[in-house]
Amino acid sequence: MAIENPLSTSPLAFPILECFHIAGFALAIGMTALVDLRLLGIGLYKQSPSHIARAFEWWSLAGLVVAVFSGLLLFSTDPDMYYLNWSFLIKMVCLALAVAFHYTIHRRAVFRGISPSAGRLVALVSMMLWVSVIFGGIFIAVVRPGLA
Amino acid sequence: MLITTLIWLENLPPFTSLRSSAYAYPIVLALHVSAISLFGAMIVVTDLRLLGWSFQDCSISDLIHQLRRPKWFGLIATATFGFLLFACKAEEYYYNSFFRVKILLFLLIAMHAVAFRRGVYSDPAKLDHSLKSPPHAKLAGSLSLLLWVAVLCAGRGIGYVPGRAGMHYH
Repeated sequence: MAIENPLSTSPLAFPILECFHIAGFALAIGMTALVDLRLLGIGLYKQSPSHIARAFEWWSLAGLVVAVFSGLLLFSTDPDMYYLNWSFLIKMVCLALAVAFHYTIHRRAVFRGISPSAGRLVALVSMMLWVSVIFGGIFIAVVRPGLA
Repeated sequence: MLITTLIWLENLPPFTSLRSSAYAYPIVLALHVSAISLFGAMIVVTDLRLLGWSFQDCSISDLIHQLRRPKWFGLIATATFGFLLFACKAEEYYYNSFFRVKILLFLLIAMHAVAFRRGVYSDPAKLDHSLKSPPHAKLAGSLSLLLWVAVLCAGRGIGYVPGRAGMHYH
């Protein structure tokens, strides 16, 4: 007996989940970008990078959790398509790299301090990784018609 | 009159090529979404602070003053990429209900900015005197959150309206 994904029974489920997905990653990526901009000397310059990161830590983690769980549900509506979609695969690799970088090198740079030039490099790598996740996500829909 | 202008706009050379390019359009879309992340986070950070839910050890005025320029930059970047997306399908967007709702929400956001300008945004130092965030600051923060989340949902909705036949694309 085939079990239908309940998310596929309503045409509204996918777009509503997408709104949660976008709100979640915008919060997580945007708040991280504020820390990155501070490492570049832009934005909240009166606060230290660690002060900003600590203030937003739980909010941005909450955003990431919402984005990941809504993302899993979006994935569940058409797993074969996503699995075969090269943009999706690139997105997952970038996401894994971005999260790993965030909780290792980025975290050390923000909380333990680092030379300003190294801080700028860390900030640029962090922003590039997160933006590449966004590009990977947008291009899922672009490369989709190429699939058999 | 309006629709003639929109047809003229969407058939200008940069927008016809953006419309027909397989990769330029999604690249602009991805840049729009990236700018939304930055701009949106700055809005949420301000709203959370006005509500007294986060960043309590930074004064409201300190936060608003420091974010003023980055926020303008974020808004201009988001709006520029958004305008490019609109301009290459201007006629179709005109008929799109979600786009119309989004424009209406922008008007409400402009009214919100005007309504809370004196009480909150133009002179936030006033808000620093009391230990707790005053009620009108909390109202400004919660309305702003609601309006921008609605903008996000309306924006996502635009892409779900099927394309119309009979558009005057050259």
